[in-house]
Amino acid sequence: MAALGERKLWRFHHIVFAAVVVAFLAWCADRVGLRPKELGAALPAIGEYFYRMAPPKWEFAEVLWKPAAETLYIALWGNVIALLIGLPLGVLAAGNVTRSALVRNSVKAVLNLLRSISELIWAIFFVAAVGLGPFPGALALGVNFGGILGRLYAEALENIDNGPVEALQATGASRLQVIVYAMFPQVLPQFVTYNLYWFEVGVRSATVLGMVGAGGIGFELVTTIRLFEWRETGVVLLLIFAMVTIIDFASTWIRSRIY
Amino acid sequence: MSSTTFEAAVSAALSEESRRRGKRLGKALIWATAAIAVLWFTGAQIGMSPLALVKGIPFMADFFSRMFPPDLDHLPLLGDATLETVQIAVWGTLIAILLSIPLALLGAKNTTPHPIVFHVTRLFLNALRAINELVFALIFVSAVGLGPFAGVLAIALHATGMLAKFCAEEVEGVDRGPIEAMQATGANRLQVILFGIVPQVIPAFISYSIYRFDVSIRAATILGLVGAGGLGFSLIKTMKLFKYHETATCILVIFIIVLISDWVCAKVRARII
Amino acid sequence: MNVNAPVAEVQTAVKPMISIRGLSKTYTGGVRALNDISMDVPPGEFLVILGPSGAGKSTLLRCINRLVDPSAGQVFHNGTEITGHRRDLRAIRRQFGMVFQQFNLVKRLSVLTNVLAGRLAYRSMWRSLFYSFPEADKRIAIECLARVNMEQKAFQRADTLSGGEQQRVAIARALAQQPMVILADEPVASLDPKIARQVLGYLREAAQELGITVLCNLHQVDYAREFAERVVGMSRGSVVFDGLTSQLTEDILHRIYYREPGEAEKEEA
Repeated sequence: MAALGERKLWRFHHIVFAAVVVAFLAWCADRVGLRPKELGAALPAIGEYFYRMAPPKWEFAEVLWKPAAETLYIALWGNVIALLIGLPLGVLAAGNVTRSALVRNSVKAVLNLLRSISELIWAIFFVAAVGLGPFPGALALGVNFGGILGRLYAEALENIDNGPVEALQATGASRLQVIVYAMFPQVLPQFVTYNLYWFEVGVRSATVLGMVGAGGIGFELVTTIRLFEWRETGVVLLLIFAMVTIIDFASTWIRSRIY
Repeated sequence: MSSTTFEAAVSAALSEESRRRGKRLGKALIWATAAIAVLWFTGAQIGMSPLALVKGIPFMADFFSRMFPPDLDHLPLLGDATLETVQIAVWGTLIAILLSIPLALLGAKNTTPHPIVFHVTRLFLNALRAINELVFALIFVSAVGLGPFAGVLAIALHATGMLAKFCAEEVEGVDRGPIEAMQATGANRLQVILFGIVPQVIPAFISYSIYRFDVSIRAATILGLVGAGGLGFSLIKTMKLFKYHETATCILVIFIIVLISDWVCAKVRARII
Repeated sequence: MNVNAPVAEVQTAVKPMISIRGLSKTYTGGVRALNDISMDVPPGEFLVILGPSGAGKSTLLRCINRLVDPSAGQVFHNGTEITGHRRDLRAIRRQFGMVFQQFNLVKRLSVLTNVLAGRLAYRSMWRSLFYSFPEADKRIAIECLARVNMEQKAFQRADTLSGGEQQRVAIARALAQQPMVILADEPVASLDPKIARQVLGYLREAAQELGITVLCNLHQVDYAREFAERVVGMSRGSVVFDGLTSQLTEDILHRIYYREPGEAEKEEA
């Protein structure tokens, strides 16, 4: 009899929770304007916009090659900078590398700061510092991704097998030697995977940096939308799609080669 | 081992080592040169310049001085915007979850009804993934007007692409054992999917959904830059009015929200796993 | 504290390679791993420390090369005290080669690089950071590999080897340090009997040829009888026997393996 009573309580508790969640969701939906009527009107409106993009104005692509390439370069250098920033910070933030909790926590705080502020905001900041163009874009991407990668590196380092680490310590190797010989080889495949993945993400992010003047194809994209040049917008979107897909394939291929 | 064979073995190994080292060095040199060449070229194209960065330091300092200290009186005014940001992320992710379940099943080789459906779905999902939330937001703002509604749709579409593709890959990677067992009992296709495949992918799906929510919060914070609601709108508004101290407050709030979202998501994922 | 057991007839004229006096270790949480251990190890000896798991054997070895810091007591190496020094840890540790139960090779690196890692303590930072070693080091490493008959697999990745092969490479790594002492912590616990005997054989042979003193933790009595010259029996953190292998009687083995906590106090009475 006691068991039955317990089961009933449990279910009641769950029902209340579910009701609260549903109420919350309904409230949110209302505030952001998600009503069935709106949705019903929105879908055809959006459909119409995509319809206006056809047929794409292919001649426009001529103007787009340079910005598209620029987007890729921004992603590339962004990741290089991210590696340069993230690697030392990530190593310092790892629990099994740095014994001082003060150093570790300060570095983690810095990494959090870098990664929590969107790359667009960083881009605005760097444009103010060094002017318009792709350079601030690469810096912004580098700084933001540096924080992200740094934390990923630190987590990977903390999860390694400590056996070889102990063994190398026992031979009398210095701290740095232990890191290079016992820790890095264990995390290298993971680091490469992270870098490849975030390069892909970087290409997608770099496509919008142009909105704030930080280079890449974003500028052309925003301009065509604001000028209602839908057929040109279509070309830009297709180009972005092609670029990202190619990078995707290349990245998958590289990953299969290194394992 | 006698001493002469010992010596012979050692010498053989030593010469093999130097041969391999030579090869490795050669390869490394080629890769290094290629990498440097690519970096040099691309760097020049985009104007990478440590000098410019150094020269920019006074501007950065100026930027900071205009923003510091953040105007904390502005905080209460951001309450609405903050709430809106979270709500955009919530519904954007929710719609993505709802849409990606069927799309994932259609886009996985072992559950798709027809190869054409598979390829079309995959193409569609790739298109959704390739386009940044911000770009979607720009288009939708034109289509449905300014405000958070466009933001929700933008986040939903991009997240659907990501979530569905991830889920499809999970579905393709399930353990075949339980599937075969179910088929042996005579279950029809739908039953096999619902009771054999879906339970296997649910944990990873939930975990990735939570991750997507975290990403959506970040995206939602800046959607306002193009008028799609949330804190981003306050950010750009204060910047255009040159009220930089209030801009700093916005950035601070964004920072805190992302941090909280990170922490919450990590905790929830830890409890589920 | 040495129990009333026949003490080995050590020639007291020869200075012991390792001297331990009153070594104790209590871990935080109150776990008493070592209880006032004292012993001497003459140079070149193959000493087996025999005892069940939990007896404190691992802790003892790790107190010697300072992977663990003792709570009390002293360790002397070749006459010099090595406890309590924070500074020269590298120089102290490179005198002791260590072999682990889990082999502890770096899986993704080649066998040769793993052995070369034994030379790191002798090299300055910069060159070793680029995985570059002088010719002399490479020669030493290959010779050590040849001693355990693994030089033909020098260029394979360590994780492509079997358990016994990996342990042999680990022994080569320890030998590459050109140490005076090798500390082996349950080196064959994960290996099956035939391979285990082979590995212990390599260890003993190399040590004898090079005059290295070996302290080998084992829990298998058979291996101890086969390979040890002298045995120290440990139980629950104390030494309960210190003598020649031939003196290992059933009674003494019982004391090592079946001693109840209460008996320790009875004996001390």
